Amino acid sequence: MAIHSDQFHVNPSSGLPIYRQVMDQVRTLISSGRMQPGSMLPSTRELAAVLEVNMMTISKAYSKLEADGVVERIRGKGMRVVDRQPAVSLTARKKEVAKLLEPLLIQAQQLGLSDEQIQAIVQRILKGKR
Amino acid sequence: MEPSELVIHATGLKKSFDDKQVLNGVDLKIPRGAIVGLIGTNGAGKSTLLKCLLGLLKISNGSAKVYGEDPWDLSVATKAKLGYVPQVVKFYPWMKVQQMVDYTAAHYENWDHQTSDLMLKNFDLKSTDTVKVLSTGQQQRLGLVLAMGFHPELLILDEPAASLDPAGRRTLLRSLLEHSQNDQQTALFSTHITSDLERVASHVAILRNGVIEFFGELEDLKDSVKRLRISSDSDLPRDFTVPSALRSEIHGSTAVVSVSAADTELISRLEQHWNVQVTIEDLNLEDIFLELHDEQE
Repeated sequence: MAIHSDQFHVNPSSGLPIYRQVMDQVRTLISSGRMQPGSMLPSTRELAAVLEVNMMTISKAYSKLEADGVVERIRGKGMRVVDRQPAVSLTARKKEVAKLLEPLLIQAQQLGLSDEQIQAIVQRILKGKR
Repeated sequence: MEPSELVIHATGLKKSFDDKQVLNGVDLKIPRGAIVGLIGTNGAGKSTLLKCLLGLLKISNGSAKVYGEDPWDLSVATKAKLGYVPQVVKFYPWMKVQQMVDYTAAHYENWDHQTSDLMLKNFDLKSTDTVKVLSTGQQQRLGLVLAMGFHPELLILDEPAASLDPAGRRTLLRSLLEHSQNDQQTALFSTHITSDLERVASHVAILRNGVIEFFGELEDLKDSVKRLRISSDSDLPRDFTVPSALRSEIHGSTAVVSVSAADTELISRLEQHWNVQVTIEDLNLEDIFLELHDEQE
């Protein structure tokens, strides 16, 4: 199974380099389950053509994902999502989440919510997910 | 990289007109396969640099090599590899579009009529139109067809997007992307429209004060130039500085600083040394260009 290149999009005028946008999207597709282990990424040529960006940019994204152990290069076939995603340390994962939460919590405070109220909301959302 | 892999190699290139020095020692090494966007403000010397590299202007000092040859004395074989579109394209006004294509094609052994026909179609040019009735934008389109119809190994474009409407710019972009599919083909184009550049360019060269201030991969530039928003619980000290700062604005306990070499080490060093909070903001090419430009003033 290969993911279709129409699942990708980039904003070239964003400050985030295009290769990072592609890397982020591959990771998101994997973590959301839309890309299963063993499935193939679109070829660099195809994805570059669809996104209308330089091919070198896509190659760079794929090489970095390979270096990070997210995908593996299959000779003559392309890039394949590895079976077991690399283990990221708990500290690193916590740090990642903290980075995402921080701006939201600041916004919540600006909206006049107390710490207890914010915690209650978080707990309610977590309960609903279970 | 092997020197032979360099398509363009300029060292200390200088050019002056009468007593006005335009290029003050340009150093530039463009590898084969790169798509390079040359950016700089109006009057920075972009066109002059391109003309020097093409041998249309004689350099005053320093050296330049194009495929290892002096631009002023290019061999016929090397000239046959070059495609060039100047800012203002000159045609024979009485010719029809198709005649202009055929006339140009006759000068090239490897002209590809299929490509030029397709480009005329994509650029919405009528082959039966007379050249003199074409608008500036249409003339620029025709210039691109004439410069790309023989799959040049090195394509040099001077402000190719300047007179093009959005549809024309998109077609140009697609042609450039196609050109870059083959890693043997190199392109250097000047522009001040940075948004076009961000899709297609692999590298960017920033020309300022007659020298190349930055040359490197576009994505590396975006990775390293960032804007930092800094805040502290108390007023920032007088001697507050940030390494690699391009521009800083300090207002009491907060500061906005643009840096050219942002990395996690720099951020944590700042946070620890000054006891401040730092948020990092990504900058697009236009932002970066303006930051660099503001620094000068």
